[in-house]
Amino acid sequence: MIVVFEKSMAVRHIGHLDLMRAVQRALRRSGLPICYSNGFNPHIQLSFASPLSVGVVGLRELMDVPVEGECDPAIFAQTLSRALPPALRVIGARAVADDYPTLMALVSGSVMRIEMDATPETAKIAAAFRLFMAGEECVTLRRTKSAEKQTNIRPFIQTGEVKETDAGVVLRCVVRNRQDGSLKPSVLMRALCEMAEVETVDFIAYREQILAMAKDGRAIPLEEYENG
Amino acid sequence: MTQRIEHLLERVEKPARYTGSEMNTDVKPIGEAEISFAFCFPDTYEVAMSHLGMKILYSILNALPYAVCERVCMPWVDMLSGMKQEQIPLFSLESRTPLNRFDIVGFTLQYEMSYTNILEMLSLGGVPVKADERTDIDPIVVAGGPCASNPEPLHAFIDAFMMGDGEEVIVEVVDALNDCKKRGLPRAERLRRLAAIEGVYVPSLYQADYNVDGTLSHFSPVDSAAPATVKKRFIKNLDAAVYPTTIPVPYTQIVHDRIMLEIMRGCTRGCRFCQAGMLYRPVRERSLTRLTELAQKLVDSTGYEEISLSSLSSGDYSKLPELCEGLMERFADKRVSISLPSLRIDSVVKESLAQTQKVKKSSLTFAPEAGTQRLRDVINKGVTQQDLMDKLKDAFEGGWSSVKLYFMMGLPTETHEDLEGIAELARAAVAAYYAVPKGQRAKGLRVTCSAAVFVPKPFTPFQWCAQDSMEIVRQKQQELRRLLDIHGVTFHWHDPSISFLEACFASGDRRMADVLYRAWQLGCKLDGWNDQFRFDLWMQAFRDCNVDAHFYANRERGAEELLPWDFIDVGVTKRYLRLEYERALKAQTTRDCRLGCNGCGIERIKGLCSLCE
Ligand code: SF4
Repeated sequence: MIVVFEKSMAVRHIGHLDLMRAVQRALRRSGLPICYSNGFNPHIQLSFASPLSVGVVGLRELMDVPVEGECDPAIFAQTLSRALPPALRVIGARAVADDYPTLMALVSGSVMRIEMDATPETAKIAAAFRLFMAGEECVTLRRTKSAEKQTNIRPFIQTGEVKETDAGVVLRCVVRNRQDGSLKPSVLMRALCEMAEVETVDFIAYREQILAMAKDGRAIPLEEYENG
Repeated sequence: MTQRIEHLLERVEKPARYTGSEMNTDVKPIGEAEISFAFCFPDTYEVAMSHLGMKILYSILNALPYAVCERVCMPWVDMLSGMKQEQIPLFSLESRTPLNRFDIVGFTLQYEMSYTNILEMLSLGGVPVKADERTDIDPIVVAGGPCASNPEPLHAFIDAFMMGDGEEVIVEVVDALNDCKKRGLPRAERLRRLAAIEGVYVPSLYQADYNVDGTLSHFSPVDSAAPATVKKRFIKNLDAAVYPTTIPVPYTQIVHDRIMLEIMRGCTRGCRFCQAGMLYRPVRERSLTRLTELAQKLVDSTGYEEISLSSLSSGDYSKLPELCEGLMERFADKRVSISLPSLRIDSVVKESLAQTQKVKKSSLTFAPEAGTQRLRDVINKGVTQQDLMDKLKDAFEGGWSSVKLYFMMGLPTETHEDLEGIAELARAAVAAYYAVPKGQRAKGLRVTCSAAVFVPKPFTPFQWCAQDSMEIVRQKQQELRRLLDIHGVTFHWHDPSISFLEACFASGDRRMADVLYRAWQLGCKLDGWNDQFRFDLWMQAFRDCNVDAHFYANRERGAEELLPWDFIDVGVTKRYLRLEYERALKAQTTRDCRLGCNGCGIERIKGLCSLCE
């Protein structure tokens, strides 16, 4: 069963493993026909499409929960929703066949939004972002699983736009994952701070959508991906 | 403010400590309740959320239709300084309401080294730190928990203490204050109302006088509303007592991240150093039916994967094997495991142990407490060398390779021989391991010996005792280090300066409040954390206040001396404690009262102790 859920503002600092445990406990509470792993220390089977960086709000996150037998997606969503704390909200569920690929393998990118208050510093960040989008290259320190090295992060951003209003500055971009992973909002923001020559700015980042690549090459919401 | 908090959270270590929103914390909106209670735990979130008492009272208060209870914890240093800088007051986890906007602010007193955190939390929450500086618009500050049994070092900061089992008295306190609030009564009247509730102590209504030698000469109420003796509250029937069927489930890993099922309260063993053993008398068990019902509800509401059977001495629960088996069978399909904390070596736990899969992975803990039979008799630890050796043999044969041995040093009448006895036990443990043939025993022997420094506690037979001076403790620790330099054995010891301060507060009187206040002014906080503890500042605080720390920690008290906590009736009488002390000095043991009543004083309260009828 594929579940779309929101990791809201209040719980954006919960780490990946903690989130996993919270959902497992919710599944145990729910009484849904879940599957357990074998072994000395059995746990509930569950996998996420893509770990969300700590501190980022996830508006449409995805997880795959294997179930025993048939289960109506609407009822599944409703039952799980009741078992989860309000800060983790179920948006929908979808039953998929056994041969559906793992979510992790389908992820091709994401839509990211970064919000800041309107200050002289964030105005500079907005300007830096325009420059960033106009340019071809932006080299900054980025950590991958294996190493921390100077990387050109520009290719990660497929498209980007910036909105400046009295309320604040909003950056919105489509992030394209590359071989060695994705781009964290904090890394982009650090690069923009360097460009704008400001120390740091306060911001809140959202992952609006996880993307997959459809058979025809278009980027589509992961939850809409059809197998075959 | 919310925006400023969110931004600050981006900059601190472990922000999830401050964000709440856990499962089962969805309490009613604070604005809709007639009366609000801030349950304050004077330590960090991880410690607070591991505490069973907090969860019990949180659920009791939120079950009252007219009240709301929210949680407040001590922020870590980075958050503290950020909050001060950004002028963010200390706020509750649920609704982020500043502390001073609650009607009642309640602290739980679990250990002495958290006292400075109370002052820090009040101050950060905009509540005047000193009780006599509070006005009608400020919250009423209450406190309870085991350390409330000697409330005097906190008398200047807490408006009212609740003594004993909290389940009932906390509701009476909330009801009384709710009534006062509706009637708009001034603070002084509210406190008088509280003083009239059984089990409540309002320190401002009492006067303490001292002799020239510094001892207490006189202690009595100065207001007709206040009783001369404050009687501790008891829950007679645990089965009938409220117990939460839903508890908060934190996201982040806390110290005890599991369902804690209190199977009984109290302990019959009568170890003479143990305050909990005296304070929580008599022993009261929950029935199998009630425990099964509670366990089911808790598993349903939390989804936890482990239930821990909790009490002072779970091995003594009369139907332990039935309980373990029943629960394991019941939750097998949900893969919930059952575990037993605080194992006692003299309990019939072997069978139950074999069933609890969880224990298998960790090490086994034994608490002989003292190194020789003589000293174990002095402290009435009813464990013999033979018992211990049998249990160690069982453990090593049963596939464990790692055992922990807990000892205390500086116990009354301790001699060199007793320290050597510790080393002998450690060596015997090593030998017991090697006695199991290779191939049949688990690999990687580890015997960990811990020696805590003895702290004399009020309401124990050792309440009159002096603690060893820090110099002597250090010498003994050196000696133990030398003696325990044994292959396969590691030795852990404690910082004697922390134990010294614990002793000062445990046995302190009202003058310790000045020292506490001064130490906090000098910047002491989070003293329970080794990296934050500043003994030098504490010593300066004693000097600045002209208070002699050794008077509290290192002085043997006379039998006739009026002790600062004598005005509290905890059930066990001073006469019995003295008798026990005298027996201790003669190394005479007292039987477990399951074998027959020893007349501790609890029998005065009709229908309370099921063993003495
Ligand atoms: S009254 Fe008797 S049986 Fe009951 S706790 Fe006291 S000594 Fe033990």
